[in-house]
Amino acid sequence: MEDLLEIVGVSKTFRTKAGEVRAVDGVSLRARRGELSLIVGASGSGKTTLLYLVGSLEKPDEGEIRVFGEDICSPGADLVVYRRERVGFVFQMFNLVPALTALENVALPMDLAGVPASIQRARAVELLERMNIDRRLQRARPNRMSGGEKQRVAIARALANDPEVILADEPTGNLDTATGQVVVDILAGLAHRDGKCVIIVTHDESILKVADWAYRMQDGQLEGIDT
Amino acid sequence: MRSVKRGFRSFYRHPLRNLVVVALLFVCLAFSLSMLAVKLAADGQIREVKRNVGNYGEIKVSSDYQMQVFEEQRGMSRAERQARARTMSEEEQQAQRVRFLVTEETADALAADGAVTTYDKVLQANIGMKGIINPAMESMLGLRSQMRGGPGGPEISSDSFRFEGNTNGASASDFLSGRKILTAGSLYTYRDYLEANPVVVVEKNLAEENGLDVGDTVTAYISGASGKASEVELTVVGIYETVQAEEQSEGGEFAQFNPAGNTFYAPLSVVQLLNGTEGYVTLGSYRFDSVDSTGEMEAAFAGVTGGDGRFEFSTDYSDYRAIADPLQKTARTSVIGLAGALGACALIILLAMAIIVGGRTRELGVLKAIGATDRQVIAQFAVEVVCICLAATVLAAGVTAVVGQRMGDWLMSGSGGGAETAVSAQEAPNGASFAGGVPGMPGMSGANGGGLYVVSSHEQAADLHVVYRGSLLLYAILILFIISLLGMAVPVAWITRLRPARVLSME
Repeated sequence: MEDLLEIVGVSKTFRTKAGEVRAVDGVSLRARRGELSLIVGASGSGKTTLLYLVGSLEKPDEGEIRVFGEDICSPGADLVVYRRERVGFVFQMFNLVPALTALENVALPMDLAGVPASIQRARAVELLERMNIDRRLQRARPNRMSGGEKQRVAIARALANDPEVILADEPTGNLDTATGQVVVDILAGLAHRDGKCVIIVTHDESILKVADWAYRMQDGQLEGIDT
Repeated sequence: MRSVKRGFRSFYRHPLRNLVVVALLFVCLAFSLSMLAVKLAADGQIREVKRNVGNYGEIKVSSDYQMQVFEEQRGMSRAERQARARTMSEEEQQAQRVRFLVTEETADALAADGAVTTYDKVLQANIGMKGIINPAMESMLGLRSQMRGGPGGPEISSDSFRFEGNTNGASASDFLSGRKILTAGSLYTYRDYLEANPVVVVEKNLAEENGLDVGDTVTAYISGASGKASEVELTVVGIYETVQAEEQSEGGEFAQFNPAGNTFYAPLSVVQLLNGTEGYVTLGSYRFDSVDSTGEMEAAFAGVTGGDGRFEFSTDYSDYRAIADPLQKTARTSVIGLAGALGACALIILLAMAIIVGGRTRELGVLKAIGATDRQVIAQFAVEVVCICLAATVLAAGVTAVVGQRMGDWLMSGSGGGAETAVSAQEAPNGASFAGGVPGMPGMSGANGGGLYVVSSHEQAADLHVVYRGSLLLYAILILFIISLLGMAVPVAWITRLRPARVLSME
């Protein structure tokens, strides 16, 4: 399979009151279409920072991040379009917009991308049904949903503009084991059936069994794990 | 357009929170707009008052000079005065007659000032009439005679009538103000004045008692003349009735005894002829462009009279102050209220938006993380701010229509305005408001007429009319625009500085 994502020697340092913290220290990584990569590590190990670097929510101090060979850290890169169309985020806290229904939350990235309303709706319904969100829940706001339902809506939202890369930050962190497993299965399906490049960062090592590649993050440095 | 839709959706999906903000803004905006309405109304009425009050002046012989002459005469005995009168030459007698009058030349010179818009000249005199009786005056004099046990004074007799002359009957203040109305015939014209046509307008009761009708003639005596040449035939061109006296009586009884209403109105030139004072007037009356020209007029007066203390220039400036002061005080108070309320509006919208945006930081971070541009997020929040401000402004504008007048009344009552002001203004020291001139003067009779305007302005001063006008809506839109901009400042500052990674890391 072709390399979709290539991270080369990326570093990121934060300045805090206690001094400088090197959250990501010269990390290199390759991820391909149809594969699920897992990054595990303790809290504060730098795994979320690495995910945000890949998602262009942070800028690296050093190194390159290439998607289909295009360096997203270069000055000319259109990060808004990248975040909108090439990458989809799934967060631990779901981060659905509380004032919007499930349907509207899923349609939101398409709306921001200028997709016509009729297409937005049809695709949002399709994605939510794929995530087993029934018609009634589709019209409900997040405060009427369970954690698992919220996370499935969040995954549907991440898929709205059909991105190549899905980045999941602790997707099972707020879910019970059974619900977490459902979410993990969905994410694994996105990689293995839909050919997405899925990267999950988590401290839950039980997910290791579905991962194609696994890495451990410690003190900002990445090392491979035998899956 | 999508941002507008998202913003509007966000506005109505947060009803409770927005309702609180709208309610707070509404209270302050309603107060602001009411204050603004009061300010606009007060300013409008001040402008109106400026146009109509305080811009009237009269040149006449000063009261100081009159007192001085009276003091001199009082120092002489009756016999001395009679002896002196007998020895007077014709020139001295004429000088005696015109000592309390102003030359037309002086009155015309003052009228040449650029600020003067209209002017008139008035002469009031007591003229003897042949064959005309005044029963009311006769009974009054008879009563006086019985009480004193002697004859009445020489200057008042039952065949002596008050004449008032000016340049145009229609501009005589009594007719302009509506205190006297023409019931038959017509008033004399400016042409009658220029051509000295012997015409006269007679009071209705007097006309009935003497069997006079329009077209009849009456004979008047020229003061100081003798023989056949002393008589002038005057044609009755109009008959009037006195309205104010009847209104005051409430039963019409007062109208039956109305010697003051028996004034004859005639062209100035005719009254001058009858009084033997050609070229002289009791007063020159002027209406100038604005109360702001009062200083200029006083300077012109000083220039024309050379600072001679014999004459004085009286204006209704005190009337203007009496009417305008409460309005100006109200306008000032309303500006303070407006500024305070607008400040509160600004504070409310800034704090509300800070709370709203602060509470939705995560949502902002998510929007940016999923590919929203700053412009899209700002536009969404801008629509929310505009919706909040618009709702508050529309409600406030509606309520202002109801409470504006009450607010105005409240401020006026606190500013010494209201009905009491009107009364005090009518009783202003120089008495110019209703008489249209100083006491004892025949009143103003400028072509534009002072009396009517003064009366109507007093009525305006009695109540502040807070009218809901278009300019108020324009100001409301401007306020809406400004508070919306202020409200937008918070999300703009917040959104442009927001780093989604920082927000999303706080899990």
